[in-house]
Amino acid sequence: MMWEFFARSLNASTIFTFAALSELIGQRSGVLNVGIEGVMLFGATLGFIVAQSTGSYLLGFLAAIVIGGVIGLLHGFFSITLGGNQVVNGMGIWILGFGLTAYIGYPYTGPLGMKRIPDIMGLSPFFFVGIALIIITWLVLSKTSLGLRIRSVGENPSVAEVSGINVTKTRYLSVITSGMLMGFAGAIYSLDYNPVWNYNFIMGWGFIALALVFFSMWNPLILLGGSMLFGTLWQLSLNPELVLPGVLSRYIWRTVPFVITIGVLMLMSTKWFSTKWGAAKPEALGQPYEKE
Amino acid sequence: MILKDIKRGDTVLEARGITKRFPGVVANDHIDFGIKAGEIHAILGENGAGKTTLMKILFGLVQPDEGEIYVHGEKVNFRSPLDAIHFGIGMVHQNRKLIPAHTVIENIILGHPKSGNILNLKRTGEEITELCDKYGFNIDLKAKVWQLSEGEKQVVEILKALYRGAKILILDEPTSALAPPETKKLLASIKIMTGDELAIIPFITHKLPIVLTVSERVTVLRRGKVTARLKTADATESNLAKEMVGREVIFRLERVEVGKGKPILQVENLSALNDKRVLALKGVSFSVHEGEIFGIAGVSGNGQQVLAEVLAGLRKAVGGKVLTDGINITHYTSLERWQKGIGYIPSERIDVGSIGDFSLVDNVFMNYYFDDEFSKWGIIDSKKIRKLTKEIISEYAVAAPSSDITAKSLSGGNLQKLILARVLSRKPRLIIANLPTQGLDVGATEFVQNKLMEAKKERAGILLISEDLDEILSLSDRVAPIYEGEFMGILPGEQATRENVGAMMAGLK
Amino acid sequence: MKFGSYKVKLEKKVNLTGWQAAMISILAIIFALVLVSFIFLHAGVNPLVGYKEIFSYGFANAFGLPLTINKSIFILLCTFAFIVPMRAGLWNIGMAGQLYAGALGAFAVAFAFGAKGSQSIDLSPGIVIPLMLVGASLGGAASGAIAGFTKGRFNTNEIVVTMMINFITFWLVAHMIKEGGPFMGSGGEGEGFKLPPSIQAPIINNVPFTILIALGLAGLLYFLFAKTKIGYQIKAYGLCPAAAKYAGISPFKIPLLVFVIGGLIAGLAGYHYFAAVPGVFKITKNYGDFGDLAFYGIICGLISQNNPLAAIPIALLFGGLTNGGRFVQGKLNLGFGIDYALLGVLMITLVAFQFFFRYKIVWKKIEKEKL
Repeated sequence: MMWEFFARSLNASTIFTFAALSELIGQRSGVLNVGIEGVMLFGATLGFIVAQSTGSYLLGFLAAIVIGGVIGLLHGFFSITLGGNQVVNGMGIWILGFGLTAYIGYPYTGPLGMKRIPDIMGLSPFFFVGIALIIITWLVLSKTSLGLRIRSVGENPSVAEVSGINVTKTRYLSVITSGMLMGFAGAIYSLDYNPVWNYNFIMGWGFIALALVFFSMWNPLILLGGSMLFGTLWQLSLNPELVLPGVLSRYIWRTVPFVITIGVLMLMSTKWFSTKWGAAKPEALGQPYEKE
Repeated sequence: MILKDIKRGDTVLEARGITKRFPGVVANDHIDFGIKAGEIHAILGENGAGKTTLMKILFGLVQPDEGEIYVHGEKVNFRSPLDAIHFGIGMVHQNRKLIPAHTVIENIILGHPKSGNILNLKRTGEEITELCDKYGFNIDLKAKVWQLSEGEKQVVEILKALYRGAKILILDEPTSALAPPETKKLLASIKIMTGDELAIIPFITHKLPIVLTVSERVTVLRRGKVTARLKTADATESNLAKEMVGREVIFRLERVEVGKGKPILQVENLSALNDKRVLALKGVSFSVHEGEIFGIAGVSGNGQQVLAEVLAGLRKAVGGKVLTDGINITHYTSLERWQKGIGYIPSERIDVGSIGDFSLVDNVFMNYYFDDEFSKWGIIDSKKIRKLTKEIISEYAVAAPSSDITAKSLSGGNLQKLILARVLSRKPRLIIANLPTQGLDVGATEFVQNKLMEAKKERAGILLISEDLDEILSLSDRVAPIYEGEFMGILPGEQATRENVGAMMAGLK
Repeated sequence: MKFGSYKVKLEKKVNLTGWQAAMISILAIIFALVLVSFIFLHAGVNPLVGYKEIFSYGFANAFGLPLTINKSIFILLCTFAFIVPMRAGLWNIGMAGQLYAGALGAFAVAFAFGAKGSQSIDLSPGIVIPLMLVGASLGGAASGAIAGFTKGRFNTNEIVVTMMINFITFWLVAHMIKEGGPFMGSGGEGEGFKLPPSIQAPIINNVPFTILIALGLAGLLYFLFAKTKIGYQIKAYGLCPAAAKYAGISPFKIPLLVFVIGGLIAGLAGYHYFAAVPGVFKITKNYGDFGDLAFYGIICGLISQNNPLAAIPIALLFGGLTNGGRFVQGKLNLGFGIDYALLGVLMITLVAFQFFFRYKIVWKKIEKEKL
């Protein structure tokens, strides 16, 4: 029983891991995508439709990755090439995702109806993929020249440019990779974690992932810990009877992860915290780069 | 690379007829000059003389409309800094082109073609240490750049250029942010480099003595044209200044004694933290009296900015007291301080001193919105504020077509006039002027200094913070050199000299 | 770029006049409608027929028009709830949460007067309705205050916080109206109790009295930003917080204030939808949908460039489009969510067209000798 709860929690955390990691990759290059929820909705919906129509999980995930990459490219085009306000662009992506998937996916409302993806002792295989991705991302960011380039365009694009780095290319690379992972994260939700389609069914997980990136101080390893914590909290809110049977209605428990998110966000933003742990926010986050 | 065999005295870089036009101005007008290996060749000019444009053209950041650049006799066409770097040109920017959050070594290898896919920090570290030993630099490669002093950051930029194989080094205002001992060290290293056949081109606005001590030749620019080419041996400070400005410069403003009144501001043992939460102001005590200019001299980053912000109510003090007229105002908000007659002229003209997207009227309103006279019952009296803005514009000769244009469309000098006028028109009893003339041309500087002098005659107390020793010495009744958040002493104006204040700014008591 | 003997160049706009902004916005809306016509085509419907049905039902139909106005009032209030924080540079995407909180506040007042007990209870509308409006305002304002406080005090990201509050409030409503919650109606199917006729909102010509609140607020907000000290302080903070702080404008009070005002207005939107629309007068089972509709406030706010008066025609247009969109879904046998699709396409088109707020395209004839 306890193990099952933990496995379920870790499976939930897997989605947070993928989603938050994708956002982190984009943000380290200086591009904020608050439309992560929308990209996940696209990935989840397209992945669901393709998997159900073809009967192939592989094609479903591929479709999700491709659409995620395309939406990432779109966000990149608005934010990098056109140089618009990244928050506005992200909002656009979110509402586009919300609106279009509601329409496109509606005929597919209901369960996926395929054999479940096999698990390993109750754990989704993607849990392990997620951990591997975290480590790879950490290695790439801190030990390779590509990682240095990504971090540099996120910190100060004009410095990177005079050092001979193609800011536009580097940012596009990050944003598209980020979008592909977001789409993938959405598909893990709709094909593995909870394979039932309903409109707007990501239910704010994308926004929690966005908050998680801030918690992680842009460090992939801390991010892994944060997403496990949130996965557990989420699972706890679904099964409150495991801890405090009969106390408060289950709807009140559902609010707990969100309340805690706000609480942690407040703690993170205090001066005490930033002094103690250092602020690691990419300096150029959210700022379009214009060549002189 | 084509720059293998350079002999001392070879012409390594030559510009012929460089011309660049921007809407309304000719920034560079047929500029010619040549640079030889092993030589320090200073380019001298005021703000707006076209130095920045020329520098950007030489480094490939801007393309000229006309003219040719030759490196080693070969005609080149730089489309980006990468091309310039490829031809062995390195640039050390005044507003540092470094990433504060990264380590020194990461900054140096950033974008280096040799760095490979996986970073080999050990090998590169050894190579950079070798360079350091050769030229007498001493720097911790693993330190984060934000922890470094201005001088150290400059060294990192030089190392970055050298590690890339630069043979021609462009230095933008190399000594402007350095304390005297740091300047000395830098000049020593530069001398070693020229021994190695490197050509060095410092671009300099002021600090003429430095030009005279280190360089071999000088080219002077004025309004986009070359006005003089001299051997430094033939130049004097005053003839260089004349070529630069186009007229005899009156360097000294006459200090007027108005008779010191009672103290307006008393500061006791004041301490505060900077943005990185490090103690940057360490228990300073002083007072400013009516009709007095109290000058704080220091190289930037020594706590004077923090002091100004604490006094303006923009930053919290962690210890000590601030009193005006004997009332403890340490915990007053900035609004309460404005209302008590403290006026702050910030060093950041855009984004603190003004709002770029606001009209001039709205910008003037920034210091008036809280007065009942201008907003009765919370409703703005727009006629009154318009009238005031018009008066300010004409009285201070702000060059603006109308009072409805945005602040960001004003030039730096005009914007500073507007900010100054807005603050002074409140007739504050205490004025905190933080770098009031930084980056302004000679005319605007004179204007601002005269206005401060006038305010002093009207018995305001003025706290003047400046990096420009000449300004401090000519205006201040008392001078406090600041170093690492502490006053090195408080000197009466007549005892303050370039030598003793300069030494104290560098931390020598 | 060259096209024949013309050269095309992008130039930065120095100033954007209100007229230019309006033109760009109108073009964006038309462009979005053209894009959505592909959805009609895909569904096998002639877009012209589709739009004709939408517009004639939305704006020229005795049943449709009052519904359009109802929706428009709601969208307009949500727009104001978005605009006020936006003027301070802050994103309120918590209109959904704030309007649920407002609805809970209004129904709490009715509940306190015993309205849940019986439909025939005779309450004095002159007392209860104003109190319900106060309850709605307080509920919304309290919800907004959380985001404003955390922003002002801790500088937390207001987008994340308001989003989290949306979900919290969503589940709080569920708690109140489902599974024996205190506000559950007699039907017991996850609906709120129905307001007794005595305290149902007055309806004038099929239009709830809340239209007066919405239009009044439009004028009031316009005046606030154009003429008052508080409006000036909000704008200064929005354009440049550091400069505002220099001028003595509190970086704590302004975020708190704008979110309280924004929340309050969203709370009134909650009152409007659940307590003033003819035939509703309860927290409906599908209350979540109204939260979705609140996002039109974002789009409407962005298109109107934060101008409360310009928001009125845009809100009316969107009210008609969603209303007509829902109608043609049934009539032309389209899939569910065509109005949501329209919402999404409108938003992304608008984002793309924002480019033209900053740049203009210049055509120049290339002189002969240079060719």
